[in-house]
Amino acid sequence: MSNATVGTVYEHIINEVINAVRVDFEENGVDDSVLEELKKGWQHKLSQLNVAQFPWDPKPEAPPPAQAAQNTSAAVNAQAAAAQQPTANYTQSTLSPQTAAQPLSLPGGQPNGNGVAIKNEPGMANEPAIKQEPGTMQPMMHPAYPGNNAARGGMAAQRAAQAIASRYGSQAQASINAIHQQTQQPQIPGQAPQQQQQQQQQLNPQQQYQQNVAAQMQERMQQRMQQQPGQPGQPQPPNQQNGLGGAQVDGSSDGFDGVLMRRDADGNPVEMGRVEIDNLLHAQLLEKAKQREGGGLMLPLKEATKSRGTATKRSRAAARGANQLDGNDEDDDEFDEDAINSDLDDPEDERDDDDEEDEASGWIMLCLYDKVQRVKNKWKCTLKDGVLTVNGKEYVFHKANGEYEW
Amino acid sequence: MAANGNTNYYDLYRHGSLGTTLTDALDDLIGAERMDPQLAMKVLMQFDRVITEALNEKVKARLTFKGSLDTYRFCDEVWTFLIKNVTFKMDGGQSVVTADKVKIVSCSAKRSDEK
Repeated sequence: MSNATVGTVYEHIINEVINAVRVDFEENGVDDSVLEELKKGWQHKLSQLNVAQFPWDPKPEAPPPAQAAQNTSAAVNAQAAAAQQPTANYTQSTLSPQTAAQPLSLPGGQPNGNGVAIKNEPGMANEPAIKQEPGTMQPMMHPAYPGNNAARGGMAAQRAAQAIASRYGSQAQASINAIHQQTQQPQIPGQAPQQQQQQQQQLNPQQQYQQNVAAQMQERMQQRMQQQPGQPGQPQPPNQQNGLGGAQVDGSSDGFDGVLMRRDADGNPVEMGRVEIDNLLHAQLLEKAKQREGGGLMLPLKEATKSRGTATKRSRAAARGANQLDGNDEDDDEFDEDAINSDLDDPEDERDDDDEEDEASGWIMLCLYDKVQRVKNKWKCTLKDGVLTVNGKEYVFHKANGEYEW
Repeated sequence: MAANGNTNYYDLYRHGSLGTTLTDALDDLIGAERMDPQLAMKVLMQFDRVITEALNEKVKARLTFKGSLDTYRFCDEVWTFLIKNVTFKMDGGQSVVTADKVKIVSCSAKRSDEK
């Protein structure tokens, strides 16, 4: 068993799978080019893992073997070129779970949920360059600031502004906002009606911000996808121009005030100018984009999910802090409930983390077992049909014998 | 790690590099609304079948390994071992690979043969 056979075996598997599902694709009315794109994307991602030398990779000494599929049509070639652009592929892939999670994030949200907001971007995507985000951000934000005078608007608006400002410092991702809201919403019934109103006003701008961010990210991805040469089948729904503007001017945040407040290190509220706000948003968007691309590029999906999980925990903690500012102590009770079995919980958590790390670090063997025997502390097992990933390389085997002591 | 409904192939290998990359590629296409998730599930089920057969038929390599067992677990017919200080010998002992630890997830070979 050597690393060298992996490439041919994997290529065989890929070709088999692609051929096997061709009928299914036809039955579903999905174009053949999508299938080819799937194959290209699959091979490309596999190459990026760098677990073995694959036949489709350009070898340093020899030219890549021409793939039959690649020669079929010019369109397919264009797709191959598209598949060569790692960032675009990856951003899209890392984004897709995000978008899937988004609708959940707005349980009681605005009626035109996120599905609509996302569909808008093809329309918005007419703007030419990626660099434009700060520019596009401004018109998006403007409807939320009906008057630029700070004097306008009452206490509630001030609080809403504060909430946003204090919050998006700690937010890493748009989806985390969602969890924020979910953790917040159960408290609403327990509050006095007036407070409740305030809370809702806090939520609305927040939702808007979140939609803005989500839509913007999506939009940029879309732009990038479009900039790839000759992607043939990219659907361009023409009549979905309506949503993004609509999402802003639906009036939910008319009471919004022109000013954002941010808490400094001492907890004192500091007023932020519009330019400052724009800069802040821009920096955050850039950071997020970088996080998605750079982080997503190398991480297995599992690890990416894991880091999101920890971020979620952090955001919950942040939400708790924010709630305490409102004088609402209900969360403390919840927290105590969780802490009852703390002695038992903690080690278990740690062990789970260990397990995850093992998988994430890629030292894993997936296989079938024929026999597992144990005599006292000596184990013997006969394994077969396995895939072993170790030291960043991948191996396949038909049979394996293992002996180990416990 | 159950075998999936109508085909009886394990979806175990979806967690390997080949499976995760396929899932990612499918995700991309679903995210771009170029195919629907049901079709993606079909692709994954075909993948389960193809990789099981390919590993069975195309691969002849043998492997022995030794190490110290850190954790073992047998649940739902699935063995999970965490082995530390492992030495893998391949090609009849010609090439040796060592690792600090490796996790083995292993489904019963019998059940998949019964299909």
